[in-house]
Amino acid sequence: MQSSYYSHVIRIVLGIVALAVLGFIGKTVLTPKSFGTYGHYRADAIEEEANIEIRHWTNAPCFACHAYEANLHLYGTHKTISCEFCHGPYADHVTNGKKTGVLPVKKGEDMKILCLRCHNKAIQARPEAVIKTVTMPEHLKDQKVKLTHTCNQCHHVHAPLKYINRDKQIVGMQGDS
Amino acid sequence: MNELHEGARFLIANYIFPNDLHVHWSMMIVLYPYLSGLVDGAFIVAALYYVFGVKSLKPIARFSLIFALAFMFCIALPLLLHLGRPERNINMLLTPSPSSAMAGFGYIYSIAMGLLALIILFIYRPTLVGKVEQSKGYMRLFYRMLTFDSTNLSPEALELDRKIIKFLVAIGIPVATILHGYVGFIFGGVKANPTWSSPLMPVIFLFSACVSGIAGIILAYIAIRTYRRSAIDVNCLKILIHTLSGFFILAFCFEMLEVFSHHYLKSGFHHMVEGLLNGPLYYSFWEWQVGFCSITPLFLLGWLVIFKIKDQLYIILSGVVSFLLLLQVLFMRWNVVIGGQLMSKSARGYTVFHPEWFDKEGIIAVIVVMAIPFFLLFILSKIFPLWVEEEKN
Amino acid sequence: MDNTKPTIDKERRVFIKKVLEGTIAGSLLLVLPMNAGGEKIPEQVAGIRDGEYDLTDHDFAFIVDITRCIGCGSCCVADKKEFDVPDGHYRTWVERYLKDFDGNVYVDSPNGGLDGYHNPRTDIDVNVRDTFFVPKLCNMCKEPPCVQVCPVGATFRTPDGFVLVDHKRCVGCAYCIQACPYSVRFLHPVTKTAQKCTWCYHRVRKGLLPACVNVCPTSARKFGDLKDKTSEVYKILQGPGVFSVLKSDMGTWPALYYKGA
Repeated sequence: MQSSYYSHVIRIVLGIVALAVLGFIGKTVLTPKSFGTYGHYRADAIEEEANIEIRHWTNAPCFACHAYEANLHLYGTHKTISCEFCHGPYADHVTNGKKTGVLPVKKGEDMKILCLRCHNKAIQARPEAVIKTVTMPEHLKDQKVKLTHTCNQCHHVHAPLKYINRDKQIVGMQGDS
Repeated sequence: MNELHEGARFLIANYIFPNDLHVHWSMMIVLYPYLSGLVDGAFIVAALYYVFGVKSLKPIARFSLIFALAFMFCIALPLLLHLGRPERNINMLLTPSPSSAMAGFGYIYSIAMGLLALIILFIYRPTLVGKVEQSKGYMRLFYRMLTFDSTNLSPEALELDRKIIKFLVAIGIPVATILHGYVGFIFGGVKANPTWSSPLMPVIFLFSACVSGIAGIILAYIAIRTYRRSAIDVNCLKILIHTLSGFFILAFCFEMLEVFSHHYLKSGFHHMVEGLLNGPLYYSFWEWQVGFCSITPLFLLGWLVIFKIKDQLYIILSGVVSFLLLLQVLFMRWNVVIGGQLMSKSARGYTVFHPEWFDKEGIIAVIVVMAIPFFLLFILSKIFPLWVEEEKN
Repeated sequence: MDNTKPTIDKERRVFIKKVLEGTIAGSLLLVLPMNAGGEKIPEQVAGIRDGEYDLTDHDFAFIVDITRCIGCGSCCVADKKEFDVPDGHYRTWVERYLKDFDGNVYVDSPNGGLDGYHNPRTDIDVNVRDTFFVPKLCNMCKEPPCVQVCPVGATFRTPDGFVLVDHKRCVGCAYCIQACPYSVRFLHPVTKTAQKCTWCYHRVRKGLLPACVNVCPTSARKFGDLKDKTSEVYKILQGPGVFSVLKSDMGTWPALYYKGA
C-alpha cells in the first residue's frame, strides 16, 4: 500500500518535533543545577573559586615561630616587606601545622641582586620620598668599603639600619641614615 | 593615562602587552569563515534558481546544493580543532550565552544543516525513490530513510514538493545570511580590537563569502566537467560570472572603504591599523590580497563581462578568475583574523605569527581539512547525482 | 629617623603590633591544626569574617598609586607563586614608562617585571623627561566585554563584583581573550582554559588582602570594600588626588583606579 501524497511531509514534521523534545529534555538534564541562580553562569563556580588553596599566609604566621626575626623586622625600615617575597610562600614551608619544606635564603651575589631590585638608583623611576636608592659599586666607594662586600656585611637584612645607626651613635654622628 | 595613543604613529619602539605575544585565533579560525562562506555562496547560487527563477542556472543548481552540503558537513571541524577543550563543545548547545555572537554557532548551524539536508532530500526525492526500487539490503533501508519511506510520486505529491522546495529555499536565504553574517559579527563586535570592531565587518564577510562560494562553484564546475569530458554550459557560466562580478565589486568596495576611513580619520587607533597594513601585513594585504587577487580579477571580470569572447577562452578565463578570487577571500580572512591579532592592545607594537606545520591548527591540518569536503563531495555524488542529465538514465 | 619609610597605614601597623603582642598566642598556631582556610591569619579586609558572607553587600575597589611603585616586582613574584602561573603568561605585570621632551612615550616590561628592573633602558637614546612604573592587572570591569562574549557562560561577574572564570565550563575558544581591552587574560597552556587575575578572590573571601597587595613594600597597591567607610580605599577615593581608569572610552567601567595618572 502506497503512502499518501503528503505522508513524507508528516513524517518529517514529526521527526523535527521529536528531535526538539529530545533536545529539550537533554538540555534540562545535562545543564548543571546551579546554572542561572545569579546570572548566566554556574553559581557553584563562585564557591569553587573561593576555596582555592591559599599559599601566601602574610607575615603573621612567620612571626609566630620566628620571634627573633619578627622583633628585628617590625621595628626596622623593612617592616613593610613581606617575608614571603624574599623567602617564598608559607605553603611551601608549613602544611597543617607541620613543617614540610625549607624556604630559600639568598646569599652573596644573589642577595645583592635581590636588594637592588628595589634599591637601585640606576632605575630613575624610584622617588626619594618612597625609597632610598643607591648605585653599585658607587655606594661601596662612598662608604669606603671593599668592593667585594655584599649588602649584608653592613646591613642586617631584617633591620637594615640597625647596625648603621648604632655605629653612627658610637662614632658620635646623628642617628640618621 | 590617555596618552596611550601618543607615539603610536611613530612606533619608535615596539611594545606589546606581555599576554599579547601569542596569537590565539590561528589558521583554523581563518578556515572556518572561509568554509562557511563557501557554503553561503553556493547556497546563493541555488537560491537564484529555485527562488528567483534564473533559468540559465539550471545546469548547476543541484550541484551547488550538494557542494554546499559537502562543505556544511565539515564546518564544525576547524572549530573543534581550535577549541582548547573540544570535549566540552556540547556546552554551546546547553548554555549558549544570549549576548555572545559565537554562541549562535550551535543552533544556527544545526538549523541551517537541517534545512539544507531537507531541501536536498525534497529536490532529489524522485531520483531517490527510483533508487529504493533498484537497491537491496542495507542500501534499500538507507534509501527508504532518505525518502521518509514514501514512494508516492503522484502529481499532487510532486506539486506539494515543488511548493515546499520554494518555501524552504526562500527561508534558507535569511538562514544562510545569518549563518555567515554572525561570523562577521563575532569580529565586528570586539571593541577591544580596532581592526575588527566596525559595523562594516559583517557586511564585508557576507559579500566576500558570496564571492568565494560562486567562485568555488565555477571552478569546481569547470574542473569536474573537464575531467569527465562533458560539455560546459557557457550561458550558465556567463550568468555566474555576472553575479560574481556584482558581489565582488561590492565586497571590494567595502574592504577599501574600511581601509580608507582608517587612513582618513587619523586618530590613534586608526593609525595603528594603518601601521599594521603598511608594516607586518604589507605583503599579504597590499601585494597579494589587493594587487594580485583583487585588481587583476577586476580587470579580468571586466573583460569577461564587457567583451564578446570565444567559448573556449571564456571557460579558461572564468577558471583563472575564480581561482584568483578564491585566493583573495582566503587572504582577506587571513589578514582580518591573524592580521588583526598582530596588533597588540597596547597600541604600541605588533607581534609576529609563525604557522606551525604539525600543530592541530597547523599547515598539514589545514590542508587535510580543506581536502575533506571534496572527498565528501565525491561520496555524495554517488547518492545524489550532480547533473540533471545523469538522472535521466 | 629613616627616610626610606613609606607611609605605612596606621591600621596595618596596629594589627601587626597586635599580632606581635600575641606571639605567644600565635605560637599556638604551631600546635593547633592550621586549615587551608586561613582563619588563623589576622583579618586584613574588615567585615568579611563576621557571620555569613553576603554576596550582594560588597563593592570592592582596587587602587594603584603609580607615584609609589618602584618596580620591584614583588607583586608579580607573589602572584606567580600563589597561582603557579605558567611561564610566558601573566596575571599581573609591571610596565616601565619613559617620556621624552618631544612627547614620545616608550614602554617596556621585561618578562612582565617578574625579575624586577635591573638596568635602565639601553635600546633607546633620548633625554628622559619623566619615568614611572605602572602595575597592570584585571580591571574587574562593571560591564565586562569578556563576559559579554563568552559563548557558554564560563566567565561571569559575581554579585560581589569579581569577574571570575568557571574552569569546569570553559571550552577554550579564546573569545574572552580577544575581547579584553587590557590583555589581562590568557589561555593556560596545560588546562587549555582561560585564566586571569581574580583579585585573589579566595583570599578576599577569607578576609585577606590579595597576594600582590599584601607583598607590596611601598603600598602602591591598595584594596578594600567601598561599603566600609573605614577602609583605606574609601578614604583615598574621596580625594584629593587625580584618579583615572584605563581606556575609559571603551565603556567597560573598571573597578581598578589609578592614582597619580
